[in-house]
Amino acid sequence: MFTFNDFLFLLQGVPNTLAISFLSFALGFGLGIPTAIVKQFPKYGLNYVADAYIKLMRGIPVLVFMLLFHFGMAGIVPLFKSAFLSATFALGFRSGAFQSQIFRGAMNSVGRNQMMAAVSLGMTRWQAFRHVILPQAFIVALPGLGSEIALLIKDSSYAFVLGVLELTKYSDIVRKATRSFFFPYLAAAIIYILITFPIANYLDRMGSRLKSRYGLR
Amino acid sequence: MGMGEVILASRGLKKRYGDLWVLKGIDFEIERGQTKVIIGPSGSGKSTFLRIMGLLEPPTEGKIFFEGKDVYSSNLDLNMLRAKIGFVFQEPSLFRHLTALGNVKLGLRVVLKMKEEEARRRALEVLKAVKLEDWADHYPAQLSGGQQQRVGIARALAMNPDIILFDEPTASLDIELTWEVIDVMKELARRGVTMLVVTHELGFAKEVADEILFMDDGRIIESGPPEELLRNPKTQRAREFLSRLIGGA
Ligand SMILES: Nc1ncnc2c1ncn2[C@@H]1O[C@H](COP(=O)(O)OP(=O)(O)OP(=O)(O)O)[C@@H](O)[C@H]1O
Ligand SMILES: [Mg+2]
Repeated sequence: MFTFNDFLFLLQGVPNTLAISFLSFALGFGLGIPTAIVKQFPKYGLNYVADAYIKLMRGIPVLVFMLLFHFGMAGIVPLFKSAFLSATFALGFRSGAFQSQIFRGAMNSVGRNQMMAAVSLGMTRWQAFRHVILPQAFIVALPGLGSEIALLIKDSSYAFVLGVLELTKYSDIVRKATRSFFFPYLAAAIIYILITFPIANYLDRMGSRLKSRYGLR
Repeated sequence: MGMGEVILASRGLKKRYGDLWVLKGIDFEIERGQTKVIIGPSGSGKSTFLRIMGLLEPPTEGKIFFEGKDVYSSNLDLNMLRAKIGFVFQEPSLFRHLTALGNVKLGLRVVLKMKEEEARRRALEVLKAVKLEDWADHYPAQLSGGQQQRVGIARALAMNPDIILFDEPTASLDIELTWEVIDVMKELARRGVTMLVVTHELGFAKEVADEILFMDDGRIIESGPPEELLRNPKTQRAREFLSRLIGGA
């Protein structure tokens, strides 16, 4: 029998799910912005590094990365002895590639005349980028970032395979204890929706509101 | 022409895009305090000429002189020169994430490195000059086209440039909104701001221009004081263009 107490027990997985998702999002943000910038301002061949990085992350399943980090590389990188960190870094690296694409699209949507206007005031291309293009690109990127967070929350469930005590792992524990195959997973599914929906929705609406205030498309 | 100091000049200026020669050799100069107006048919190269004089694009051939110095062959700081040449664009080009005040302040802060307080005071002063001090806190999307263009003028003016280039600043505006922008520009001309203006507002040209330049197919084929050029164009092309402009408008 799956009881309300089992449901409360299951909730204990939520903190780890959130922690993996938000830390990997932050890591992805930190990687995504420079990657987008390097592609926008090709210099020292760094844009090829960025290209390779994006292609790699697109082509390799994130679960394979997690397994590789935790079981394959813990000897070389002590950080990866932790299943939690292996999962977070695997998701964060992939998110960096995805977020760089979101920012690239957003930067390109800002328009050449904004850059030209900034340069006409005497700004360097970098100053123009920093003060004019980037702030507008952030706003345009908000809905895309919302989808990215939702994706990370869902894919954090792969960490289950490494034994991280997150929501999916907890639902599996409850399944074993209660012998109920349906309700523990159903409860997990509902909790995932309750977490992802408001966050993605909030960023979406904030994006639309700011876009209409600033007349951005 | 007077004895004033030449601020901006070009010699044998040419520009090519792919196989297309858009500018075919332009000699031009403007002295401090002058207002010159460029007219000419669509596609004749007016915007291209202005962008190149604003140092926003390099020429394919020829030279540009700022205060007598060859811009592209001396080791002048192009960004500092651009700060001394204001530019007002045809299409809306205000920074959309900043208020009117923020738009005017940004160049002061980032380029001229003014302190916040000083930049704010200067920006408000210039917004007042274009009669928009009450709109300082509005975003571009909340302003009319005419107001946006006036903020654009204020943004250029705030930098205290030696010259301001205007590329058809009223072309995308309704007639009622055209006046408020033209009025501001007339006022600047009277105050002695050096201006190079692409416009087909002949009333403006008549009232404040020292000279009108007629551009056709990448060349300036005729120039002269407004009364002369408008009443008595020497070239067939200018005659045709003006009769169409006055008849059609
Ligand atoms: N960046 C560019 N790349 C390629 N061709 C260009 C570019 N800019 C302008 N042109 C071409 O150069 C020619 C002159 O254009 P320009 O915009 O300077 O004319 P204009 O006199 O300002 O016309 P309008 O009155 O319509 O504004 C046109 O044929 C245009 O298509
Ligand atoms: Mg033009």
